[in-house]
Amino acid sequence: MTVTLPTRTADVEQVRARLQPVDFPAPRVRLPNRLEPVALLSPAIGLLLLFVVLPAVLAFAIALFDWSPLSGKITFVGFDNYARILTSPALRNALGNTLLYALMTVPTSVAGGLLVAVGINALTRGRVIWRAIYFLPTAAVLVAMAAAWRWIFYPESGLFDHVFGGLIGRTGWLSSSDLALAGLAIVGNWQNIGYNAVIFLAGLTGVRKDLQEAALLDGAGAWHRFWHVSWPAIAPATVFTIVISTTSALRMFETAQVMTRGGPGENTTTLAHLLWQQGIRNVDFGSAAVTTVVLFLLCLLVTAWQMRGFGTRLERAGSR
Amino acid sequence: MKPHPLAQAGIHLALAVGAVAILAPFVWMVLTAFTPQDQVFRDGFLPTEFTLANFAEVFREVPMLRYYINSVIAATMIFGLQVIVCLPAAYTLARLRFRGRSLSLWIVLTCLMIPTQIVAVPIYLLFSRLGILDTMPSLVLPFISSAFGIFLLRQFILTIPQSVFDAARLDGARSWATLTRVVFPLVKPAVVSFGVFSFVSHWNDYFWPSVVLRSTDNATVPFGIVRFVSFESGTSYGAQMAAALLAIVPLLIGFLIAQRQFIAGFSLTSD
Repeated sequence: MTVTLPTRTADVEQVRARLQPVDFPAPRVRLPNRLEPVALLSPAIGLLLLFVVLPAVLAFAIALFDWSPLSGKITFVGFDNYARILTSPALRNALGNTLLYALMTVPTSVAGGLLVAVGINALTRGRVIWRAIYFLPTAAVLVAMAAAWRWIFYPESGLFDHVFGGLIGRTGWLSSSDLALAGLAIVGNWQNIGYNAVIFLAGLTGVRKDLQEAALLDGAGAWHRFWHVSWPAIAPATVFTIVISTTSALRMFETAQVMTRGGPGENTTTLAHLLWQQGIRNVDFGSAAVTTVVLFLLCLLVTAWQMRGFGTRLERAGSR
Repeated sequence: MKPHPLAQAGIHLALAVGAVAILAPFVWMVLTAFTPQDQVFRDGFLPTEFTLANFAEVFREVPMLRYYINSVIAATMIFGLQVIVCLPAAYTLARLRFRGRSLSLWIVLTCLMIPTQIVAVPIYLLFSRLGILDTMPSLVLPFISSAFGIFLLRQFILTIPQSVFDAARLDGARSWATLTRVVFPLVKPAVVSFGVFSFVSHWNDYFWPSVVLRSTDNATVPFGIVRFVSFESGTSYGAQMAAALLAIVPLLIGFLIAQRQFIAGFSLTSD
């Protein structure tokens, strides 16, 4: 291919006129090239260091002091707070509740989300409407919905006991020591299924139609088409929903605060709620900092475990 | 492949059953909100009388309008500042080469894994020393730099072909001009999606306000609602549901109008 270069001045002028060079204003302050990245980046990194990294590190240090809220005196106590809180029944209880809550919400809301997404994806019409309905809980203020749920769970007169009380033979879930956490888990599932479904739907749009049709022509049944064609495309979405659902379950605070205030007794006190009770309500920063450290390590552990082991295995399964 | 009409109907039916569970709390909230207080604890599902008294009570007891305004101010300030701070950072991390680049990227990725609950107590202590607890800045400051926003926008900027940046540079654009004239117009859809995500998250957030707020002066909608619903109204569920309904209505209207942006904002997080 030959390129004819404009040779005459007139042609050059013509080309130049057509190109309409953008007139970039000269910057008022001219930084040396070297400093430009620093100027553009440092506000963001500085604020992250100040409001995320530094506090996360400080939490470990705050736990080394005793904070007397009345006198305002701060005394160094070494690992006393760690020893006291880590062995306390309150922390063990909150840790157990948090893990149990995660166990009751993560598998069900991820599987439920996948099911809803596969269903919606198979529809020829009405997909937008169903997606919108299932997504509604994500767009609604959670504490307001938690208030509605508390009213639904109201003993005897509430909607839940009206409908299911006779079937299950148990009423007043939120005031029962063994069912209160399960009641909160129902709300957690209700809130997350639609969000997970939306993530899976986004993944399912990446499934190749030609592969689906080829599989169909080759006589693959619905299950095999799902397992060998759709599933590999949505494996990353699965990892993502599991990570997001787990970390949000570990941080659960709002529904417990509105629906049960951590009760009855301590039966729905999660780590985040215990942290709030200690640090904000009782201004016992030493104890709260230890709980913070525990929650922090738990979050890191789960993220690392899911990303490294489970996550890569799932992703590899996706590239069979 | 032709979908089987019976299978289609089956899927619709199954989705409808699930949708009943999804919609039940909304329906129950609306029904209760319009039921007179003395009939709230009756048997039967549909109210026999219709009243606005619950809403009147809420507006008498709760400064709803102030909560709305506070929420709008807080969420708007957070998002506005996030764009100003995070977009340049995202561009720098995506396209500029400099010393400390990988360290900065590492900081951003680490911050992605640290939830707000972890920083609550240390920031509470910091803000109480600075004397800014219970103020608007205490609601906004911690969220101005969003690791998630930086990460997301960086992913988008990486999809812009390098030739676009080369062209801008040849035309004499330095970084700032490239950012405002080239990057911003191209990533606007991502900024809008992130905006929806950020706005909705902070509008709905209750944890952070419950850490830094004390009074109702700067109370956002969730903080104000919980105050009323959990402490002040006892068992007047009619008024509670009216307040809850007032809390969720603005975003639900927004969702119905801009459904696509909402869902994009929440699902682009997964890509």
